[in-house]
Amino acid sequence: MAVMSNLRTFKNAAWLGWQMEANWTDPFLFAVYSVVKPIAGTLILVFMYLVITGGETNTLYFSFMYVGNAFYMYVADVLFGMTWVIHDDREHYMTLKQVYIAPINFQYYILGRAAIKIVITSFGVILTLLFGVLVLGVDITLSSVNWTILILGLVSGLVCISVMGLALGGITFLTAKHAMGINEGVAGVFYVLSGVVFPITILPGWAQGVSKALPVTYWMETVRRGLMPEVMSGLPGGTGLEGFGNIEMMLALLLSAVLFMFLSEGIFRYADRIARRKGKIDWTSAY
Amino acid sequence: MTDTWLVRNMRAIKARAYSRVVGANREPSWVLFDVSLPLLSVAAYAYIYKYMDAPEEFVGFVILGGAMTAFWLNVLWSMASQLYWEKETGNLSLFLIAPISRMSILAGMAVGGMFATTVRAVSTMVIGILVFGVAFSLSDPLMLALVFIVTLIALYGMGMMFASLYLIFGREAYHVSSLMTEPIYLVSGFYFPVKQLGFWTAMGASVIPITLGLDALRQLFFPSSGGLYGFASVTNELLILVALCVVFLILSKFSLDYMERLGKTSGRLTLRWQ
Amino acid sequence: MDYAVETRQLTRVFNPKSKKEGKSVKALDSVDLKIERGELFGLLGPNGAGKTTLLKILSTLLLPTTGKAFVSGFDVEKEFVEIRKRINMVSGGEISGYGLLTVRENLWMFSQFYGIKSSVAHERIDKMLDQFGLVDKKNEKVRALSTGQRQKMNVIRGFVTNPEIIFLDEPTLGLDVNASRIIRDFIVDWVREDKGKRTVLLTTHYMAEADQLCDKIAIIDDGRILACDSPENLKKLVKMNSTLKLDVNLLNDISGFGSLQGVENFAAHDDPERNVTTLRFILKDESAVSEIMSLILSQGSKIMTVQKTEPTLEDVFVKMVGKGFD
Repeated sequence: MAVMSNLRTFKNAAWLGWQMEANWTDPFLFAVYSVVKPIAGTLILVFMYLVITGGETNTLYFSFMYVGNAFYMYVADVLFGMTWVIHDDREHYMTLKQVYIAPINFQYYILGRAAIKIVITSFGVILTLLFGVLVLGVDITLSSVNWTILILGLVSGLVCISVMGLALGGITFLTAKHAMGINEGVAGVFYVLSGVVFPITILPGWAQGVSKALPVTYWMETVRRGLMPEVMSGLPGGTGLEGFGNIEMMLALLLSAVLFMFLSEGIFRYADRIARRKGKIDWTSAY
Repeated sequence: MTDTWLVRNMRAIKARAYSRVVGANREPSWVLFDVSLPLLSVAAYAYIYKYMDAPEEFVGFVILGGAMTAFWLNVLWSMASQLYWEKETGNLSLFLIAPISRMSILAGMAVGGMFATTVRAVSTMVIGILVFGVAFSLSDPLMLALVFIVTLIALYGMGMMFASLYLIFGREAYHVSSLMTEPIYLVSGFYFPVKQLGFWTAMGASVIPITLGLDALRQLFFPSSGGLYGFASVTNELLILVALCVVFLILSKFSLDYMERLGKTSGRLTLRWQ
Repeated sequence: MDYAVETRQLTRVFNPKSKKEGKSVKALDSVDLKIERGELFGLLGPNGAGKTTLLKILSTLLLPTTGKAFVSGFDVEKEFVEIRKRINMVSGGEISGYGLLTVRENLWMFSQFYGIKSSVAHERIDKMLDQFGLVDKKNEKVRALSTGQRQKMNVIRGFVTNPEIIFLDEPTLGLDVNASRIIRDFIVDWVREDKGKRTVLLTTHYMAEADQLCDKIAIIDDGRILACDSPENLKKLVKMNSTLKLDVNLLNDISGFGSLQGVENFAAHDDPERNVTTLRFILKDESAVSEIMSLILSQGSKIMTVQKTEPTLEDVFVKMVGKGFD
């Protein structure tokens, strides 16, 4: 019964999330927007690379950087999406309290809204990768892809990011509107420390220690190993995680996902309780 | 009313700025985010250049670009698209029926947000310099200040022009702002000299005030790199920026008036949840 | 004549962005209205009648499709800058304001947009906060206010600029009896304070509110003005007299009632089982009521129940349109 109710909540929230994401314009313009936005974001790195290397993109590092940046979209968009749900519903549409008091599992509501973000972002990631392969010479060949590693890694990573987003969503209950920076901050930490656009070996020693404690680091490594194993094995200087085999990587990722699931659940419940105590479920903080 | 148009609008700017400043101080958690967050993206790009063994000044360019993003984001999200939030919360109609210039409301928002923006920019610069050990030259502080101020005026003028879109559009304009955030980083050369994009691209991008502003500031902070990486001389860039100030301020007035009239004709001026 | 508000064949049509969004809607249809200076003018109509659309045009937020509208003699289309110096607007259910600012700060901020000196603004704000019983809330953040308190704050925001003309769009919507009464009393006092110079255009679908407050009322439905006159004259349009019904102890002699002045007609019905006579009077004039009472009491009878019906504005509306308010 509870499972069916939660699934229904999830489904309805996902539908609502789709409406919020897409119904502001006609389908054609939305499609254009969905294509342009992810690619535009990637081009900064591309040009930064081209400026230094003088135009050569057929290098292992370029592929490493490009693919990492493409998959990072999941991190940024999901974390943003989950915190934005709270903020938008509370401050903008002022519907949060009505949803909150409904007999649903509110966490499934947030997850549902985030799920549609994952779907939309997936299109962006695929398009970005296609653009990279077809136009920029990113080294991905379908025959080399380790689908098991890729799919398992991708799914467990997404689960992990989603539950982290849940924790951030809970924290958003307690913060003012400008603190959408929470999601920006956490995503930013991952961007710097998780080997998204450069191997963690370039970081100072203490920072590498932190990197190895972050689940996104293993996620990045896993999906890259799945998608372009030869690039990863041949990258000059290594990635800093050569000591981990594929199975160990997967286990590390799964363990992180489980750990974060409990941690995030705890944070969410705590933040929820504090928010109710302080009357922040339906407050506004505009200025 | 016995006050003049000027006094009334100055009061409006002060009042709108006041609410921004007071609001920010009442929820001071922004300090943490505005100090630490820009540093993260700066660090990421700096390490990319370090990994690629790029010349040292490129790390400096990233720090400068990171600092200036604070102003670009303030224009885009705290000024231009703020009208969208004002519309959604019902404040816009109250602003619009008041006998003040729309530019005063926007100027008030910009001025009010300036403190937080400046904190963000300065902290990015200072911490970036300390962490990455990059040397910035301060040999011509007067020119630096002049370029910076003129760039901001032109940039905020452009922001006012964007804000006019929100008088008629809702989420479409919001998504346009979202779409523009990163391409502007790209074409304006936030993280690398715009000259590298080629002459014509750089020329086109020069319409955005921050492009030339950044380029001039880069040349002033890193005088030795000017010849190699500068798009045009600092003086020429300053003159163009002055022209852009005038152009954008005039355009924004026309744009705001036009969009307001369009919104009133179509009935979308104060229509929420578009 | 210099009217506070004048509209001439004012029409407003809303066209959808696409066919999916439905058909065009004619929110106002050839509205002719004249509101004199110093009037407390009511616009009465059901939901969707066009009240808010009219107010939006007059407050320069919306342009007419055809026709003209003038506020304080200025054209809403071309001279909106002049109009804005002279008006303000308060809507019911307003959510405007900044949650992080205090009541006083919000009110001060909006007053500055009208060029009022800070010292003068603070003085007015403090006075009005006192009038509305919000003095102890002046330093509270707006987000902490109840609905009624917030609406009172919104009303203060509208009046603190001392406009020549104020547009009130259902200002007591959703408020309790006490809060509504305070706001209504304030509106009436405000107009009287500077008689002839202050004009109020109030929209409402609470007929009692319109009846109580307004010097003149226009009834609007489907974008058209159906009638416009004082409340008394509007009620006279409906040819319904007052009806008085009484239950009294069994009466022996009812002959005297028919000859009473002001009594158009009457009927009596005895119920011996209950020992009750039911009297029903059609009154030409309400002054007959006291004479009726006296006659009943002079016969030693007791009055058990009294019921009196009067024509209402809803009766006026029903008579004109054939439906009541939603």
